[in-house]
This record gives sequence, C-alpha cells and structure tokens, in this order.
Amino acid sequence: MREILRNPAGLVGSFLLVIVLSAAVLGPFVAPYDPQQFHAASRLQGPSAAFWLGTDQYGRDLLSRLLNGAPATVLFGLGATALGVGAGSIIGVIAGVAGGRVDSIIMRVLDGLLAMPELLFTLLIVTFLGGGTSQAMLAVAVTFTPGMARISRSAVLSVRTRDYVQAAIARGESRSWIVGREVLPNALGPIIVEATIRVSFAIMIGATLGFLGLGAQPPSTEWGLMVAEARQFMFRNPWCVAVPGVAIAITAMGFNLFGDALRDAFDPRRRRI
Amino acid sequence: MTEFMLKRRHVLMGMTATTLGGLALPGGLRAQDATPKRGGTLRISHTTRIATLNVLNLSGPAEYPVADMLYSGLTRIGLDSKAHPDLAERWEASADAKEFTYFLREGLTFHDGSPCTAEDVVATFEAILNPDVPAAARSVLNMIDRIEAVDPLTVRFHLSMPFADLPFSTAHANARILSRAALAAPLTELDTKANGTGPFKLETYDSARILRLVRNDNYYQPDKPHLDAVEMLLFPDLAAESANFLSGATDVMLTVQQAEYARIEAAAGIEAQRVASGRYVCVVMRQDQKPWDDVRVRKALALATDRELLVQVILEGLGRPAYDSLVAPELEFATEKPVIPYDPEAAKKLLAEAGYPDGLKVELVASDRPAIRVQTAIALQQTAAAGGFDINIVTMPHDTYLAEVWMKGAFYIGYWGTQPTIDATYKLLLTSDGSYQDTEWKNTEFDKLIIEGSATTDPAKRAEIYARVQEMELADTPYVVPFFEDVLTANSDKTFGWTVAPISRYYYIEDVWLDRG
Repeated sequence: MREILRNPAGLVGSFLLVIVLSAAVLGPFVAPYDPQQFHAASRLQGPSAAFWLGTDQYGRDLLSRLLNGAPATVLFGLGATALGVGAGSIIGVIAGVAGGRVDSIIMRVLDGLLAMPELLFTLLIVTFLGGGTSQAMLAVAVTFTPGMARISRSAVLSVRTRDYVQAAIARGESRSWIVGREVLPNALGPIIVEATIRVSFAIMIGATLGFLGLGAQPPSTEWGLMVAEARQFMFRNPWCVAVPGVAIAITAMGFNLFGDALRDAFDPRRRRI
Repeated sequence: MTEFMLKRRHVLMGMTATTLGGLALPGGLRAQDATPKRGGTLRISHTTRIATLNVLNLSGPAEYPVADMLYSGLTRIGLDSKAHPDLAERWEASADAKEFTYFLREGLTFHDGSPCTAEDVVATFEAILNPDVPAAARSVLNMIDRIEAVDPLTVRFHLSMPFADLPFSTAHANARILSRAALAAPLTELDTKANGTGPFKLETYDSARILRLVRNDNYYQPDKPHLDAVEMLLFPDLAAESANFLSGATDVMLTVQQAEYARIEAAAGIEAQRVASGRYVCVVMRQDQKPWDDVRVRKALALATDRELLVQVILEGLGRPAYDSLVAPELEFATEKPVIPYDPEAAKKLLAEAGYPDGLKVELVASDRPAIRVQTAIALQQTAAAGGFDINIVTMPHDTYLAEVWMKGAFYIGYWGTQPTIDATYKLLLTSDGSYQDTEWKNTEFDKLIIEGSATTDPAKRAEIYARVQEMELADTPYVVPFFEDVLTANSDKTFGWTVAPISRYYYIEDVWLDRG
C-alpha cells in the first residue's frame, strides 16, 4: 500500500477512490433531499445554497440524485467486472493448465470474440437480452470474459514452468492442489491489476448503455441515464449534464489511476528502491 | 406575442368562416397584412425520414406535409378544425345522412396534365375500401357502401349507416385523390412517384437527404402557390437541425422540441409558433378489475394529479391542462370542462371511502418512446404520492409495451394525437367497439348516443347529444387526461404564412411566401 501511495498517480487515484467509495456507501444517507422529489419553483437552476449542485428539469436536487446513484453506478462496475473476471479467469486457467488441443480451441474461439469491438459487442448482447440494469451488467461481463481469459492464461503459462511448480509435480502433488496452491496465487497479481483497471471501463460502458436507454431505466438515478435525461436541457442548465458527467469521469479515473499504480507496485522492475 | 397571434388568427378564421361560408379556402386570409411575393425556395427542416410517398398509408411526421403539398382531397380540414372544400367546391347531404353528393371544381388536372374527374375519385375511394390495399383512411370511411360517378363532376357516396361527419372523413390525410391510372399500375410505384392535384409537383426524392418539390402551374387556386419550390431537408440530429435553422440555412423548422422552444423563440429573426392542439397523454385504468372498477379510486387519482405542474414540468408550459375528457376544446360541439383542482386531501378521503384508508400501491407502466410517457409517469408518481397513491413505475421498450401491456395492462400511460371530430375521438378509445378500446368502461347508453350523434344532421340537436356524451365521460372518469400538448413549429421572419393545423396533418404551403428583402 505504501508503494502505491508513494506514486503520485496512485495517490490521486486512491484519493478519488476514497471519495467515490464513501459516496457509494454513505451517499443515500447523507443526501439532503429525496432524489425523486420535485421542486417545481426552482427547475434547471445552477448551484445555490439550497441546491449545492443545482437542479434538473423536474427541479430535483442534483446532489441528492448523484449521491443516490453512486451505489448503483459503482456496484454496476464492480459487479460486471467481478462476473467477467471470474468467468474469464476460470476459462483462462483451464486453457493454461490443460494446454494442447483444449487450449487451442478455447483460445481460437476467444480470439474470434476479441476481434469484435467491445462496445459493439455489448450493444449486441443488450439488444438481444433487452434493456435493464442486470442485463447490461451481464452484457458487460460477457464482453470482458475473452480479454480476462487471455490475461489469466498468459499469467498461468508464465507460472506453469517455474521451478516451484516443477518441484510440486516431482513431489507427486495432485493437479488441483498445484493449481490452487502454486499456480493461482502467483498468477493472481496481473489478474487483479487488470480487473481494477477494467472496473473503470465497466462503469463507463454502463453509463454509455444508460445514456443510450439500454441500461437503467427512469426514474433511476444511474449517472449515465441522468446525462441522457438532461441532454435536452443542456443549453438551459449545463450543470445537469456536467454534474453526472464529471462524476462518471472521476470514478473511472480513480479506478484507472489506482490500477496503474497497483501494476507499478507489483512490477519489481519499476519498484523504487 | 405568440398568444396574441393565435387569438388574432382565430378571429380571422371565424370571419372567414362566417362571411365567406362554403367559399372560404382552408387557411385563407391569414397572410393578408402584406401582398404575397411570388418566387423563392422554401427550405423546411425535419428530423424524421420521409420513408414513402404512398399517400394511402404514409404516417410519418415529415410525410404528412409532403402529402399535403403533392395531393389534394375532396375536402380539407382548416385551421378552425372544420371541413372546407378542396377539390370538391361544395357538397350536399341527404336528410338522413346516408347519401352525400360532392361537386368537383371544373378543369382540375393532375400533375401530368390529365384531367381529374369523378372517375378518379371513385377509383381512389374504391382502393381505400379494398381490404387488399393497405390504406390508413379505411377505418374512418368503412361506412361507405357504394360510390358512384353521376357525371364527370359529380360523385355520390351511398352509406350503409347514417354518418353526418363524412366531409371530415373525406378530408383524412390519407384519403387524397389519386388518378385511376396510378391505381391501375403496381401500387409500389406510389412509394417513389406522385401524380397528384396538389400545389406542388415532385422533382427529386432522396429519402436519406432531401425531397424537392416545384410549383404546380395548373393548381386550381389561381395565383397559388406563391413559392417556386419547396425543399424538405432531413437532419437526423436535433442539435444540427436547430443550429442550421438559427443560422438561416433553413426557413422553417417543422417541429420544435419543448426543451428548445424558449431558446428558439428568443433568437433574433425567428418566429416561433405554438398551436393549441388536442394531442394528449392519458392514464389508462382498466375497469374490469380492482382497484380501477371503483369510480371513487379513479376520481381520487384525478384529484391527485397536479395538472398545472405537469404542464409546467413536462411541456415547459407549452400546453394546456385538460380535465379528464379526450375531447379537445377546438373540436366542433366540444363543451367547456370544469376545472379539476389538485386536492390530495380530497383524494385521500375518496380512497378511504373506496376501502383504501392506508393508500393504494399500484404499478404504472410507461413505454420508453416517446419520452413524454415516462416523464408523465415520473411526475404523476410525485403528485399522486400526496394523495395516497404509492406508484411504482415500470419502464419498458416500446415494442415490448405494444406486445405485452397495451390494451391488456391494468394501469399504463397512453399517448394519442388529435382526432378531427368528437365522433372519431370517442370511437377510437371509448365506445364499446372502439378501435383501441382499452379501459373496458363500456357504457351502452354512451354507445347509443354516439350512433345517434353521427346520424343527426341538425347542428343544434347534435350539439345537445354531444354535450350529454361529454357529461357522461366526465361523470365516470374512464381516463385521467392531464393535459393537451401544443404543436410547436418555427419559421424565419422572412417566411410568411407558415402555419400548422392543430391536427398537424394540413400545412397550407400554397399560402406561404418568402420576402428575403
């Protein structure tokens, strides 16, 4: 941890993450207003003492909506990544450990899937499954799976021929013991780093889907949806687009910088002495 | 400014109707403040594709003005929401409203120069009534039993039941007169070609970009149209459309979004127009099941709907509160509706009387297109909460909604356009055999009165019948209708005479002229 904080990017990333995560945990409890409550007399206003970040087209408090949307937005990112990383790692480890023909078949199929642009692939899945938060999460997870499988496979491959693994094989340990105790713990580093960075992509894709009307549905406070709903009113109150937009950017940046710093910390060649 | 113009226009229209009677042309006398100038090309921007020119079944928002330019009907709806002569210079109805005779103008020709006679009219209506031809106007003309060309200038309609509103039906936007030759050719040719009797002729048609029309020199109204040409320019992006309009690259913006209206109205050199229309959102409450079978629950929801707030928040104030009648105030025989105040306390009391002392938990479905449905649901959830309604909003894609909820669900948001008459309004949704009857309200006395109304030709008697019908609707609240939406359009201050009828199917572009100074 100290390694990460010593790195300026890591420091900023950690700082942003603390803000975002505390908003996600405490947000709904500290929001000054009900996020759905109308204040018809003060629609589309900029920041003021009563409404710190201004109001949207229904006169709903933007700060309250932002805080209420934080858990959903962050959980979406974490959930989609966890699913994608979980499925991807299992596939990758199977391919890496099994090797040979199984490996070739799995990897060629994944290469095919990887050839498709990420967002396009997600859109395709969502169109197939229908709109909604859980469908969108599933779609992002499916999109992440091939990439994660590739990374975990290469991590497994680099570990598989190490001396300690050979030693375990020579000791006559069972295959599952070797995978669970020797291979996985040592291959986990790159997977975690990649997963952290992917959270930011998941949040951005989630927001994109919400913006396109394929993710969360109104009156949800998901941030991408907030941008989409407010887009028409951009010329009248830029705040109602800027506030959720900046929030998405901060969250994505936080995870990204933190993931970068994490990678540097794990990489002995970059480690400062 | 705009309100003043609206009022003045209404007064002018009233004068037109009373002084000129049957001779008045639709939309006449509007631009008489100055002498119209000849020439120029009018550029109209729109955001939806013109996918077809087939006047029998086109339905796109940008397709209607094109049909209105290319084709003419026997009659046409004017700005006063009444039927006016178009190709027919007058018509007569028999006393029992079962026989109508239309007298065509002399010397009418199609764009290719061939004469337009009673034979073409008969062929057109026979095509519309032919079940094998997709024709949007069939549902309002299905009472026609037989059409007969008495002589080249006279057409007689024999109806299977009395129907006094036939002149409104013949004005239907999809019931314009086609030539017998065009109908004999494969009908797919109508998609890209047009041989009508309207003020403009088709020059180029590229559905992805532009449609260009040029002046029809043989139009039946002398000295019209004023313009040399009209261009319909497609802008798929709303922001690009308004930017082009504001910079003067286009003269008319066909439809202005509510959110943009204030900005466009405030721009220099632009005249934004609000046309009060009968387009409405309605809350559908299915009445063959609990809780909506109880009129007290429906009335409670009506009282818990803050109509002023909805107009302000959803329509940006560009509309009028409605009071639970589907009938727009513009329609002939429409009665004045009493104001329903926002009174959540009274709503709570009514709910308690109906057996829900702790409030009512309901699920409201709103499809995601157009956005106004979800917006209404969100606003209704807020205002009805104070009246004891705990509304959970379920949004879904429009296709899913059409397949699973529409005409089946217990509680959802509907959205309908203006109908030309009270008869058409009620037959769409409220009569037991209505085309899209979805409340199961079904009232036999109401049905009987509607039939009686369409069989009566005496205006005084019809007014009486329709007043009773509207009273019955208000007494039972089959729908909660929170507001009527205005039709919004805009033109540059160098464009004169541009306007849209409340029913937004008729545009009178032959009256438009340009003075670029």
